[in-house]
Amino acid sequence: MTESNRNIIFEEQAKVLAHIHHKGEQCIMRLHAPKTARDAKPGQFVHIRVSQAKALRRPISIMLTNPEKGTIDLLYKMIGEGTHQLGERKVGEELAMLGPIGKPFDLSDVSKRYVLIGGGVGIPPMVFAADDLIARGGKPVVFAGSEVEFPFALKPSTFMLPGITGNTTLTISSLEERGIPCRLASNAGLYGCYEGHVPNLARDYLLGLDEKERENCVLLSCGPHPMLHAVARLGRELHIPAQLSLEEHMACAIGGCAGCVVKTLENGEEKYRRVCVDGPVFNADILPEFA
Amino acid sequence: MTVESTSPDISTSFAGLKLQTPLVLLSGCIGFGEEYTRIEGFSNKDVGAVILKGTTVEPRMGNAPHRVYETPSGMLNAIGLQNPGTRYVIDEILPKLPHHETQFWANANGSSLEDYAEVAAMYDDSPVTAIEINISCPNVKEGGVHFGNNPEMAAKVVAAMRPMTSKPLITKLSPNNADIAETARMVIEAGTDGLSVINTLVGMAVDIEKRAPIIGNTSGGLSGPAIKPVALWKIHQTRAISAKHNIPILGQGGLTTGNDAIEFAITGADALGLGTGLFYDPLICGKVCDDLRNYLTRHGMSAYHELVGSLQS
Repeated sequence: MTESNRNIIFEEQAKVLAHIHHKGEQCIMRLHAPKTARDAKPGQFVHIRVSQAKALRRPISIMLTNPEKGTIDLLYKMIGEGTHQLGERKVGEELAMLGPIGKPFDLSDVSKRYVLIGGGVGIPPMVFAADDLIARGGKPVVFAGSEVEFPFALKPSTFMLPGITGNTTLTISSLEERGIPCRLASNAGLYGCYEGHVPNLARDYLLGLDEKERENCVLLSCGPHPMLHAVARLGRELHIPAQLSLEEHMACAIGGCAGCVVKTLENGEEKYRRVCVDGPVFNADILPEFA
Repeated sequence: MTVESTSPDISTSFAGLKLQTPLVLLSGCIGFGEEYTRIEGFSNKDVGAVILKGTTVEPRMGNAPHRVYETPSGMLNAIGLQNPGTRYVIDEILPKLPHHETQFWANANGSSLEDYAEVAAMYDDSPVTAIEINISCPNVKEGGVHFGNNPEMAAKVVAAMRPMTSKPLITKLSPNNADIAETARMVIEAGTDGLSVINTLVGMAVDIEKRAPIIGNTSGGLSGPAIKPVALWKIHQTRAISAKHNIPILGQGGLTTGNDAIEFAITGADALGLGTGLFYDPLICGKVCDDLRNYLTRHGMSAYHELVGSLQS
């Protein structure tokens, strides 16, 4: 898990096909970027020039691809100047975009039960991973958390999940339709959602499994740091390996500048690894910050 | 565009080396030369040289994050010379690089004169065709800009390295220095073969919620279009000295377009450094080469060297 990814990276003029603004400054953007759509793997991201005024690009994880139509979907939140300028882009505009970039999640063993835990703008790579796994005969389970209204159509789930009780009934419609079990968590009192943090919801599920099933699980997670800390703790408590997707200020996103590093501890040796190409996905057990 | 046989010659000579184009990819922006070639359409043949990430005698971990932050028309960086050590680069990385596509130059760093001399000696027996001396890195606690800000110390670094290698030495000058021309004069007398003008300007940024510096190192080096006017002025000042000694300048600092490249050349840049511009557009090199050829054609010039230092007073 420490080898950097060496796939070809494409520079595409990605045309905005759709751009929908949701509550909580959340935006879903569909781009025409056929080479990225063809090659992207779950956990990878694109590096987008958000406007002429902001020259340094912004890394945004890929939520879904459609290789036949040559499209990719992104979900991002307008937080800083860069993402606000991205929010102003109109349908028909073209954005300079590099992709796909980064080391994806290791989803190689579809006999494993991948438990996907996403928070906020960390949900998109979970959607992509779940979609990839179900298409290859895997059995992913998704838990998504948000402190604002989810930017997706929701519906009651027909999938029963062990350990999940009471009013935790809603799921993301598109996942349900693809046969992917999912439940939602929020502290904002959202109807049909688990009241609390999403790692606690995932914990209830994992404790509802019998020991043999639990031993077969792998955690994947992306989201805010406190959430990643909780997922790493959960993995340690239940002896389940965890792969975490990180973010950091980024300049080149190619591995050239070493600007976007995270500290790792590998075989007793401390190093700074590049989040862009050595990650963004790292095994939790080599990240001292999450130990 | 299709380059016809009558197309102007944009090759250039620099410190005794023949560069296939005047573009030089700058140290710290392209790792050890193995990353940008992964981008479809990127070609080492569009550049005259690639300057590898700076190395020291011993490996260095580099600075704690955040290491980069975008600022108006530029960015701050404080990487802290993360590198696996000069010996590792020579033994493990240099043999794998495509030396037939372009030249690779080293970037030497140290915290003492002995360190600089040792790095020069190590690279002397390696395939790099030149060694850039980094006496202007603002992001390390010892060495770096502390040498570059003092003309006597800068000259001592060059003098310490000079007997250790027969390869061209290119001294990277700091803009954070009161008198860049005096530093240029002293490093030329000490035996430098070329000058890199300029390194980054020292700056900082503050997180107003945390009331803390954004950059882990507190300060960082400012690069990008924001510093271009400073770079042009420093090249102009340096050239007043360097031209008398026939010492070439690798001009750099905020070059992000073909027109920028032409401005640098007119001011006196024998070669043109690309750094932050690569982050903005990783395929910039081919475009700048095309723009240079078109400009030369439009102005009736047959070669890049006719443009260099053609500034009218």
